[in-house]
Amino acid sequence: MDNQRISQLRAFTARVLGLFRSRKRDSEFDEEMQTHLQLLVDRFVAQGMSREDAAAAARRQFGNTTLLQEDRRELWTLVSVEDLGRDLRYALRSLGRSRAFAAVAIATLGLGIGASTAIFSVIDNVLLEPFPYKDPGRMVFLQIHDTARGQEGGRQGYTSNELLEFAEQNHVFDGVIAASDDLVLYKQGEGVELLYGAHVTPGTFEFFGMPALYGRVLQAPDYQPGAPPVFVMRHKTWMERFNGDPGVLNKTFVLNGTARTLIGIMPPRFGWYEADVLIPETPIRGAATGYAGLPSRWFLLGRLKPGVSKAQAAADATVIANHLAKINPQDYPAHFQVLVKRLGDTVVGRFESTLYTILAAVGLLLLIGCGNVANLMLARATSREKEFALRAVLGAGRTRLVRLLLVESLVLAIGGAALGVLIAWGGLKLIVAAMPLNLIPAESVIELNAPVMVFTLVVAVLTALIFGLAPALRAARRDLNDPLRDSGKGVIGGFRTGRMRDTVVVMEVAVSLTLLIGAGLLMRSFVALREVHLGLQADHVLQTQLPLPEDRYKTAAQVRGFFHPLLARVKAIPGVVDATESSALPPYGGMDSKMEISGKSHAEEWHALLQNISEGYFRVLRIPFKMGRAFSEAEVNDARRVAVVNETFASTFLRGEDPMGRRIKLAGLETLADPVREPWFEIVGVVADVTNQGLQAPIEPEVWVPYTVTGSGAQVLLVRSQQTPAALMNDVRQAVWATDAGVALAFPSALEDRISQLLYAGPRFAFLLMTIFGCLGLVLVTVGVYSVLAYATARKTHEIGIRMALGAERTDVLRFVIRTGLRLVTAGAAIGLIVSLLLGRVIEAELWRGLKPYDPATLAGTTLLLVGTGALACWIPARRAARVDPMVALRYE
Amino acid sequence: MTNAKKSEVLQGTLDLMILKTLHALGPQHGFGIARRIEQVSRDVLQLNEGTVYTSLLRLLQQGWIAAQWGTSDNNRKAKFYSITARGEKRLAVETENWERISGVVGRVLRLEGER
Repeated sequence: MDNQRISQLRAFTARVLGLFRSRKRDSEFDEEMQTHLQLLVDRFVAQGMSREDAAAAARRQFGNTTLLQEDRRELWTLVSVEDLGRDLRYALRSLGRSRAFAAVAIATLGLGIGASTAIFSVIDNVLLEPFPYKDPGRMVFLQIHDTARGQEGGRQGYTSNELLEFAEQNHVFDGVIAASDDLVLYKQGEGVELLYGAHVTPGTFEFFGMPALYGRVLQAPDYQPGAPPVFVMRHKTWMERFNGDPGVLNKTFVLNGTARTLIGIMPPRFGWYEADVLIPETPIRGAATGYAGLPSRWFLLGRLKPGVSKAQAAADATVIANHLAKINPQDYPAHFQVLVKRLGDTVVGRFESTLYTILAAVGLLLLIGCGNVANLMLARATSREKEFALRAVLGAGRTRLVRLLLVESLVLAIGGAALGVLIAWGGLKLIVAAMPLNLIPAESVIELNAPVMVFTLVVAVLTALIFGLAPALRAARRDLNDPLRDSGKGVIGGFRTGRMRDTVVVMEVAVSLTLLIGAGLLMRSFVALREVHLGLQADHVLQTQLPLPEDRYKTAAQVRGFFHPLLARVKAIPGVVDATESSALPPYGGMDSKMEISGKSHAEEWHALLQNISEGYFRVLRIPFKMGRAFSEAEVNDARRVAVVNETFASTFLRGEDPMGRRIKLAGLETLADPVREPWFEIVGVVADVTNQGLQAPIEPEVWVPYTVTGSGAQVLLVRSQQTPAALMNDVRQAVWATDAGVALAFPSALEDRISQLLYAGPRFAFLLMTIFGCLGLVLVTVGVYSVLAYATARKTHEIGIRMALGAERTDVLRFVIRTGLRLVTAGAAIGLIVSLLLGRVIEAELWRGLKPYDPATLAGTTLLLVGTGALACWIPARRAARVDPMVALRYE
Repeated sequence: MTNAKKSEVLQGTLDLMILKTLHALGPQHGFGIARRIEQVSRDVLQLNEGTVYTSLLRLLQQGWIAAQWGTSDNNRKAKFYSITARGEKRLAVETENWERISGVVGRVLRLEGER
């Protein structure tokens, strides 16, 4: 570094430091000067002058103090306040003169900043950093995937034996914990309330590394045999059920018949297993049954040792699983594979691709926005070249010119940024409201993300500055005479920069079409989804789960003793059409069971979904029969061994045979807490297929049997009514309590709402956001095409005047201008189509099966929409051009 | 532009004179510096004494001089400036520069005169 550089650097540092102490400096400097003046006066007086003369002479000799102060400030600060104020005033005035330009630029920037900040915030909170735990990236769970089955996923619930095997025999985890769910009933005042509970294994809280908000977490002594029973509560539950009352801490609650002390309340972001309450349980080998008499299953979570890959973990777990499969062959498919999944996969899975698609969309939107701003700035600067040249000729320094434009761009950028913050804030609220809550981790708290906000602000502000500055620098460097000589509205006016603007427009159109096609595909996909017939009628049906206290409801007779009178009471409620018991809720079927058919031999294992119901089930859900009949009331009451199957069952296992009267063995019933010995059933009916695996997965074979054959299994009540289901809620609750005051309604709702939330919320979210972004993109592009064309036409007024003077008709002019614009639009559309086809694979996963990313109707529709809008944007400037009076245009210099 | 360049030369000269004054007399306040320059220049240089302060600020920014509040002879509060080690170095360089350039300029001017 040479000396000059160093001294410049020193001066700069001093100036920056000067920013912080200028007020004090001012007064000190003043004082110093006053002293000097006083000394001069004293001296002149001593030489024999009168006081007045001396003062005048002193001032003369010292010079102008105000000027000195200004010099001083100039030296100490980066930009003088007066100059900055002048620039600001000038910028505001000049932007005020072109209000439309300023509004469009600010709106565009604001939209870009706001939309991308909102989406980035969602992505960051949901996908990137959803879990507040220690090393969440290394937390994985295992799935036993049946390679014979097409669909992804597999069993992820393990018996206590399996859990302990995995925990003790593995070489890849430095910690394994597990949770099993339980519906927890507790007495609250007169009635009974229900909580979703999780039994958690020792070390769970050490594993997550999160302390309690109040009280303490579960510790090793709490798991000792004979330790006082305790539990821990989730923050959300504490707030919703107890209004955040700290007084409940250390209170005792009777949970499922056991008195337990509440020892801790977790922080808001703790959401393990989404459990309301966490109860300590040490898994013991051989412990067989859990909730509702179903085999107890643990969901297992392990933390990979540092440096261990998922593949290594899978290999290690496969060894253990192979060993377990030899001991318990009935729990393992013949050919299986152990999958290692990240903790985030529990919930986001499919939603992840949706969010990334939307992120891409919003990125494109930001791109269009920045393109527009760049274009506007370029166009504006080009038309001001003369102005700048004139200023330079009149003595404005280069830095002065650049600063002027810088301030103008900054005003725009700050305006856009302020609007962007508002849009981000409002947009995030909208997104959160529209977001399917079951598809995001319970742990993620979606809020505006400050670093993301800063990032997008910087991007947008830089765009404004760069594109505002580039022409300014060029203008400042250019030969001053050039633009002054150029009429600026001549025949070839500004072709060089014109090409740059054209490129930006073409790119904008391409990007916008890509967005529109994406939105169109998702819309068609969503419509197709809604049109899928579930096979049942979910309207006017109330659903509620009814977990029965385990101590009093173990056997089939006990369960029947509850439901038989309950169903009678519910059916007696005015407005109720029918009611039924069930062990599963649409759109999902019952538990998976191994199955055999008498007289049929087969090499591979046969499976079917198994659901327990009462006789009203098919009537309540309006599921039509293809053959045979439903159960009679007597058959249900007597627990006869009869079964109804679906069409897929008949066509899969009994193709071409008469299913009526065939006998099937449902081995799954033998594994229940209240097992069914020799579970052979006779088929008495075949119903039409009903969605039983969600919407996207194919329908599985399914069997229905009377609920009275076993006391085990989940209990659900379905009620069809004439009025809206919500109106029934209270009457149904009274009927339940009249039957057994110790039973609570769990998660009651309209069946339609539940299905909508489960099946349509995710796709609706994707389609809604994409459509909003697509439309925004369209609007931005329209503005972009319009502004560029309007600008170009305005510059060509002279040329158009000459053409018309030489005999061109108005229609010729109209055609000429529209053709210029449409050329850009069609070029962009062509590129957009190609890009969309290339990107098709990205969005394919989001689409309803059967809909291809190159769906011709969508492509044609969106392209037409875009070109049409583009033509409209050309029409207005074209008409203006056609109205040009040749005489005026030629004189217009 | 040309205006700024002219004043720059003048400023540089003043800077040099102030540095030299502080070097020769030790710590001084602004008034003392102005008196000293007046005295040495024997009224040849017409100087707005205020510009001394601008010059002092510039020298402060470069770290060639340091400032400290003190009391003057007649008990007034005044800021005293003194030359720093860095300033001494600069003074040596600048003095040499000045002598070389003024020597050249002097020779050129003499040549012009002889013709």
